[in-house]
Amino acid sequence: MNVMKNIMLVDDDPGILDSVTVMLELGGYNVMSTDNGAQLMNMESDFPDLILLDIWISGVDGRDICRHLKANENTNKIPIVLVSASRDIEISAVKAGANDFISKPFEMNDLLNKIAKLT
Amino acid sequence: MVEYKDIFDLTRAALLIIATDAPSYTILDVNNAYLSVTNSSREELINKSVFAAFPANPTDEVSKNIERTIFSFEEAVRTKATHTMSNYRYDIPVRGTDEFEERYWTTSNTPVLDEDGKVKFLIHSPSNVTELFKLGEREKAGIVALREQRQQLYATFMQTPVGIAIFRGPELMVDLINPSLCEMVGKPMKEIISKPLFEIFSYAKGQGIKKVMEGVRITGIPYKGQIMVPILRKRKIEDVYLNFVCEPFREIDRSISAIIAVVTEVTDQVMAKQKLEEAEERGRLAVDAVEMGTYDLDLSTGEMITSKRFANIFGFAEPVPRKEYVRVFHPDDYARRERAHEEAVISGRLFYEARIIWKDNSIHWGRVEGKVYYDADRKATRILGTLLDITEQKLAKEEQQKLIKLLQDNEQLFRSITTAAPTALWMSDENGAITYVNQTWIDWTGRPFEEHMGDGWTIFIVEEDRKRAGDKFLTDLNNRNFYEVEFRLKHADGTVRWCVANGKPQNNEDGTFRGYIGSCVDITEQKNLQQQKDDFIGIASHELKTPVTSIKAYTQVLELMLSKVGETKESTLIKRMDKQVNRLTSLIGDLLDVTKINSGRLQFNDTEFDFNSYLHEIIDDLQRTSAKHRLIEDFEPTGIVFADKDRIGQVVANLITNAIKYSPRSDKIIIHTSCQGGELHLCVQDFGIGIPENNLNKVFEQFYRVSGDVQHTFPGLGLGLYISSEIIQREGGRIWVKSKEGQGSIFCFALPLRKAVATGENVQRAPKELINAK
Repeated sequence: MNVMKNIMLVDDDPGILDSVTVMLELGGYNVMSTDNGAQLMNMESDFPDLILLDIWISGVDGRDICRHLKANENTNKIPIVLVSASRDIEISAVKAGANDFISKPFEMNDLLNKIAKLT
Repeated sequence: MVEYKDIFDLTRAALLIIATDAPSYTILDVNNAYLSVTNSSREELINKSVFAAFPANPTDEVSKNIERTIFSFEEAVRTKATHTMSNYRYDIPVRGTDEFEERYWTTSNTPVLDEDGKVKFLIHSPSNVTELFKLGEREKAGIVALREQRQQLYATFMQTPVGIAIFRGPELMVDLINPSLCEMVGKPMKEIISKPLFEIFSYAKGQGIKKVMEGVRITGIPYKGQIMVPILRKRKIEDVYLNFVCEPFREIDRSISAIIAVVTEVTDQVMAKQKLEEAEERGRLAVDAVEMGTYDLDLSTGEMITSKRFANIFGFAEPVPRKEYVRVFHPDDYARRERAHEEAVISGRLFYEARIIWKDNSIHWGRVEGKVYYDADRKATRILGTLLDITEQKLAKEEQQKLIKLLQDNEQLFRSITTAAPTALWMSDENGAITYVNQTWIDWTGRPFEEHMGDGWTIFIVEEDRKRAGDKFLTDLNNRNFYEVEFRLKHADGTVRWCVANGKPQNNEDGTFRGYIGSCVDITEQKNLQQQKDDFIGIASHELKTPVTSIKAYTQVLELMLSKVGETKESTLIKRMDKQVNRLTSLIGDLLDVTKINSGRLQFNDTEFDFNSYLHEIIDDLQRTSAKHRLIEDFEPTGIVFADKDRIGQVVANLITNAIKYSPRSDKIIIHTSCQGGELHLCVQDFGIGIPENNLNKVFEQFYRVSGDVQHTFPGLGLGLYISSEIIQREGGRIWVKSKEGQGSIFCFALPLRKAVATGENVQRAPKELINAK
């Protein structure tokens, strides 16, 4: 049996954190979640296999976190999927170095497919 | 008993007996008559040669009388018959003088034969024909003179510019006609001569000519008259006026055998007279038409003769003395009249307008004009002129002046309004150059009037909006369209405020374009409110998405879990719930899109993609959610399109879901694609309720919804087609619809197949919203 992949879920809405965690766990992933994006910046160990990062979170822009992680050689290998309620910012997400982008609300299968491809 | 010799001597014929002894021809005997006519004596002649007795006449050297006589003798001898010499001249010597008397002779030489038939002698018998000859000569001279006279007469007759003709007999046969008359009547002489008058000029019948001519022929009383005859001249019928005199032509016995007509053409005179009469008539009519009164003022006596009309204008029934007229002038106009008269004496022309008060106290206006006549000392003696009633004109003019005054007042009012209005007003000429701005605009910009003229006004628009506002104006100007554009304006106080400019094309009376009259309204407050509204909807829909995302996540998880444990029924219910969540998502998406469109923040991510295969994917997805309608693909090759794939997909999905929604009683939708003129065409055809024609152009407006009957109300916010239309337009395409109520609709869009090579970056279609000036 394969080792379960770890996914870091970042969103400032508890409803999202809960529902998406349920969804990912059903999809066979081990989920860590936080509503504090800034926390990611200081991550030094226990790197997840993928980060699912909402762009519009309080206090900080998800794209800035993405750019930071991608600029850091310890973390630049971690696949990042940016999430936003706005479809229009997909381009800026890709520009920020994200490996993929998904807009809210999404189909479960779409999200799981994207994650499967990157892990 | 009378002897032969006695007869010979006593006969009155002059006789000479001559021997045939040529060439001498000796005179054998002579009778008394001969001696008498030749003034000769017997002794001078007997036994002498006839030529010795009568030598060649010295006065007549050319007549060759000797030779003629010898010839005559010889002929008589040869032919044995009498030979006659006629009318020759042989002058007889006047005996006792050297003179000769002129004599003309006719002489016969008769041979007398003997028994043998030989000529024994000749009887020479001259007869004196001098009187006879002279008479003949005179006659000849008379005839020549007569002939010459006749020729002169004829020439005169032929050449006189007066037309002359002689008509003979009761048929009035043309006996003679001269060229002048031929010319007058426009016919060659040969067509006229020897023909009856009325056969030549059938049109002259019935004008009484025949009666007149008949009268002259019978009574002998000459007739003078004038007729007008239509005559063909130079292939043109002309009315020719002829004066004519008919005189009887009498024979020696005083009987009238013919009529001489002398005709002169007077067409020009008649015409001139007619024209003069016409001119006079016209003049009279003109005077009548304008109802002019006329007057003739004698300045030395002060007497004035006036026409009835003149009196009428002054309110009198009939002309009155001058002082009566003067008395009824309006007192206020006396001075003017006086002045006019004073000036008239100097200038030669009188002109003034004055009021006249009638007996009934009504006031009338008269215009007096006149010409001054002077005597040899330059003293004005007389004024002749006219009077015109100009009451109506004056009243009309007063009315006009009132109107002008009113308009001027209005103009003042208008100025006050435009100055006070919170709206800026402007005008442009036909070239789009600004010619007027009102005080409001000047106050806004803080710059003087002149700086805004021409295209000076554009400098006050913020730079980002300037080109757009200017280009829109030029486009509308070229198409003579109503102009409307929104832009931000730099105010004098340093603020930037939004305004909407409107311009209505103006035409001259002849329909030519004259320019614009327009306004500028400050819409900053509306813009702010709109912005707040859009912001609110944007945030609200964004916030709505968050719980929807959670709900959708739970729903999908739940559905998966239920289907895993075999709870099919519950799983199906959850699936339906997911669909409703999707609808909710779509509605929120539409709201967001509209706020983006309104604020110009709709973003496009253009990429190249194969249109037909992408379309096939979308149709596949939609077919899965629609059990009732078959989505039929009628594709022609389209190739690669460069556009925002998701947005185009959104439009296609919108058109197809609409088609499904609005054709509840039909079971198929046809989707056509084709390439036409460098464009991709997509059409979605349904067979549903259709759109009434008067609503066709409204379907792409925000919030338009098709209203069905009571049983069929159609859900939705009415934003789908508005968003689709915006997307297609911003992608450089066109969208349109054809529809027939009750039969279905065809919604189509066209996209350019190859747009300029773009980077594939986020392409922004509208200027960034930078609101708010405060």
